[in-house]
Amino acid sequence: MEALAVQGLSRSFGSLVVLDEVSFTVGVGRIAVVTGPNGSGKTTLLRCVVGADRPDAGEVLVDGRRAYETDAWVRAYVAAALDDIDFFPDLSVVEHLELLAHAHGGSADPVPEVLTELGLDRARDQLPATLSSGQRRRLALASCFVRPRRLLVLDEPEQRLDVRGRAWLADRLRAERDAGTAVLIASHDADLVDAVTDDRIELGA
Amino acid sequence: MTGSDTSERQAVAADVPTARQLRSRLRQARRRHRTQSVGDLLTDVYMVVLFGVMYGVAFVSNAREYLDSPAAAAADAGERYWIVVAALVAVAGLGWQGLRSVGPLLVVPALQSWAVSSPVDRAAWLRPRFVVLLGGAFGAVGLVGAVSALVDRVGAGVDLVVAVSGAGVVGVAATALAVVAQSSRVGRWWPRLLGVGLAGAGAVLTVGVVVAHFTGGGLVRPSGSVAVGLLAVGLPLAVLTTALAARSLPLVDRAALTTGAQFANAAATAAVMLDPSLLGGLLESRRWRGVGRVRSRRFLAGRRWWVLVQAEVRRLRRHPSAVPAWVALILVQYAVAVAAPALAGSAQVIGAYLATDRLTGGLRSLSRSPGLRRALGGDDARNQLAHVVVPGVGAALWWLATLPVGGPSLGWVAVVMVSGVVVAAYRAGTRPPLDYDTPVAHTPFGVIPVGLMTQMLRGWDVVAVLVVARLLLS
Repeated sequence: MEALAVQGLSRSFGSLVVLDEVSFTVGVGRIAVVTGPNGSGKTTLLRCVVGADRPDAGEVLVDGRRAYETDAWVRAYVAAALDDIDFFPDLSVVEHLELLAHAHGGSADPVPEVLTELGLDRARDQLPATLSSGQRRRLALASCFVRPRRLLVLDEPEQRLDVRGRAWLADRLRAERDAGTAVLIASHDADLVDAVTDDRIELGA
Repeated sequence: MTGSDTSERQAVAADVPTARQLRSRLRQARRRHRTQSVGDLLTDVYMVVLFGVMYGVAFVSNAREYLDSPAAAAADAGERYWIVVAALVAVAGLGWQGLRSVGPLLVVPALQSWAVSSPVDRAAWLRPRFVVLLGGAFGAVGLVGAVSALVDRVGAGVDLVVAVSGAGVVGVAATALAVVAQSSRVGRWWPRLLGVGLAGAGAVLTVGVVVAHFTGGGLVRPSGSVAVGLLAVGLPLAVLTTALAARSLPLVDRAALTTGAQFANAAATAAVMLDPSLLGGLLESRRWRGVGRVRSRRFLAGRRWWVLVQAEVRRLRRHPSAVPAWVALILVQYAVAVAAPALAGSAQVIGAYLATDRLTGGLRSLSRSPGLRRALGGDDARNQLAHVVVPGVGAALWWLATLPVGGPSLGWVAVVMVSGVVVAAYRAGTRPPLDYDTPVAHTPFGVIPVGLMTQMLRGWDVVAVLVVARLLLS
């Protein structure tokens, strides 16, 4: 069963072709890792998959159905942490997560556990302006875990995480896979890639 | 898709709150930490309205005074009318492109990340914004209609209401149409064509009026009220496009909502920080991203300044709008000379400055980047001078092209003016980042940040001196 299918996806900026008819699938309970050198289009690919950018050609299918970001079902299905996340300056860490859990029709019950898991317990009442870049990254990741999801899309999730954080991330991704979530990540971290990859998607090769 | 699949899919989003519930929850959460009171907000609104009314009244009375003066009588009323129409058509085209750049519907990135990315009904979330947007469009464009009508001395009663309504419904129609365009999937050509078409039509109309002026072809101002015509055409159009836009709301996607938000955010920051370069940087980045790839070639060997000049010429050729804007400003000068000949001399100085400023991209990049200066090596002043060659040639050519419509002046005055314009463009191009820790002056009108204003007006200060000199020497 395919949670995600990308077919003939192309994206250009002016005359620069960044993605040229990229096709791949990610099965349910599988981890697919997008690798490639800088500028090979990893982030652009992920942005097109989650609907943050519009491809020039090709299509994205989620659970066999054409995925449009305007479809509420797709937004419920796909959890994503890309580099474009932003925060309300006047809401605390815990308030951000509770708001998101509520917006997805859930309760705030998983929030304390996710905060603990990501080491954000002590920062729960801090406003975003006081967070370090690593803590902001953890909060972005936490936003994916306080809500239901079938497909998890992460762009270089290891960025700004310390050694313990990276070890936790590998464990967490494996747990997601075991729970039946399909995972699509872009990464430059060879250790993380080796530890979690089921399928590799090479760009710019 | 099977029936069980369908029920499972619906179950994913079964307990999702309504847009109203989520908005309410977010508002409550934010209210707990908010420091700005309603009084502060009302004070801000009062100040904006006060300044708007002050400047509006001043503009209307000055425009009326000019139109009653002997200087205005030098222009043909029919030609002036059609130049104004051409300008409004061109501005409508540019305004349409501006609307498309901003969105016009947008959500701030934080809202996108933590609320709009959820399965909450997209149309219900956007509907209140859509209503406010249309109201704002009616108010803003209606205000333009009111000012135009007052300058044209229409009566203060029904005629003024018709003028406001006529302009307002056109604003609503354009904004609603922009929302329809925003919901279009990639590849739709008509939004771009509409913007380019309107701007092009304005330019063609201007050329037509200018040619008619110089060939002696008379133009007459049509009888009948423009406002009534706008209302008659605009009202059904506004109803139709609003209905289409309302139906399109569920199709406005994240890419469309956040692209405009970046632009609006940069514009707001630039306005608050009084630094247009903050917005310029984003525009520049988007412009070059749109170009994507270029054909790289080796520079002809030579001294550093020669290579820098070549690079500047190459940048100019690749810039999608620098040369078209430079040419368009020549047309604007001809239009001013036809519609308001008394202002042609001053307009020529301002136009030359604006045209030359379009050519100083290299100078601006160099001045704002210490890293780039270090990497280039050599003497900073010489490197900057190398980047003045192209703007200097551009200024001289622009002046030559507008010489027939620049008003009477002596030969040496032209040399002084062109040199002054280049100096002004150089000053603007080498403007350092704003320093906010500057002296202020306490005046009966309040505290005025003199140091900040001096920095902001760098470049324009020389232009002001040139305009005064031109008036005295003509």
